[in-house]
Amino acid sequence: MDVQTVNANVSRVPFFRFLNFEVRSLDSLHAEAEMTFDDRHIGNPIMEYYHGGIIASFMEATAAIAVQPDFADVPAKPINLTVDYLRPGVKGPLFARANVTRKGKRMASVSVLSWQTDREKAVAEGLYHFLLV
Amino acid sequence: MSDITQKKMEQIAQMWNARGKGLITHMALEIEEVSTEGVRVRMPFNPDFCVDAKQSLLHGGILTALLDSVFGLANFVAIEGVSTMATLDLRVDYLRPARSRADVIVQAYCFRKTRHIAFNSGSVWFAGHEDAEIARGTASFALTRGETSLFDAMTKGKTS
Repeated sequence: MDVQTVNANVSRVPFFRFLNFEVRSLDSLHAEAEMTFDDRHIGNPIMEYYHGGIIASFMEATAAIAVQPDFADVPAKPINLTVDYLRPGVKGPLFARANVTRKGKRMASVSVLSWQTDREKAVAEGLYHFLLV
Repeated sequence: MSDITQKKMEQIAQMWNARGKGLITHMALEIEEVSTEGVRVRMPFNPDFCVDAKQSLLHGGILTALLDSVFGLANFVAIEGVSTMATLDLRVDYLRPARSRADVIVQAYCFRKTRHIAFNSGSVWFAGHEDAEIARGTASFALTRGETSLFDAMTKGKTS
């Protein structure tokens, strides 16, 4: 699955267009994406920080792509998630890297890290489960 | 049930309107009920939040965003003198596929508040289908208390 094909799939999902991100790299167990900041992503209008829900959504989208980059109709079905918010997401690009920690026949576990200028300074860390059947 | 003051209700309405931009504005949230027992908010259907081409299946992420937002409101209602609030962690279970073009209802409350932390819980369903919960969430928030209240910060000099 090449990145170009995946981004073509991404652009067909209305909510993914709302988030406005692009997949940057991909292999069988990982996906990395970059989201462009937009006013509609703001949670704290005074500080212009990203809304926590937008960060969690972007991480969920990246995780779903890592699990099923070749989704035909809709992205992989999410079961649940847990997110730790470590630092505020400030105005500017946001990155996410999803690692598939386990992919079975029915279920997948994915851990996701998101950051801005420095990969060592995570904005959020999340654990996502998907149903594959 | 409604032991909330008129002043607080007016503050909430002002604060909501003062936002002017950002996700909460984009979600077009309407407050249905506010009390110290919790808050109930309605989000009108928006095709931008769907994952399918037919635009009738909501992405889980928007439900997570909705819970996060309404937890914040529940804390503002339940706790006096908060100066800032940040989500510490959030867990969401997606209980059913969110397939409908109906409005979404969120009910959330603060079930424990301490000096530094607030704990929240909430449920999401489609309007008219309260018996079929589509998501449930729990979160904790870090609070700071100080001279400048969250309300003052949100409404000061905001006209747009």
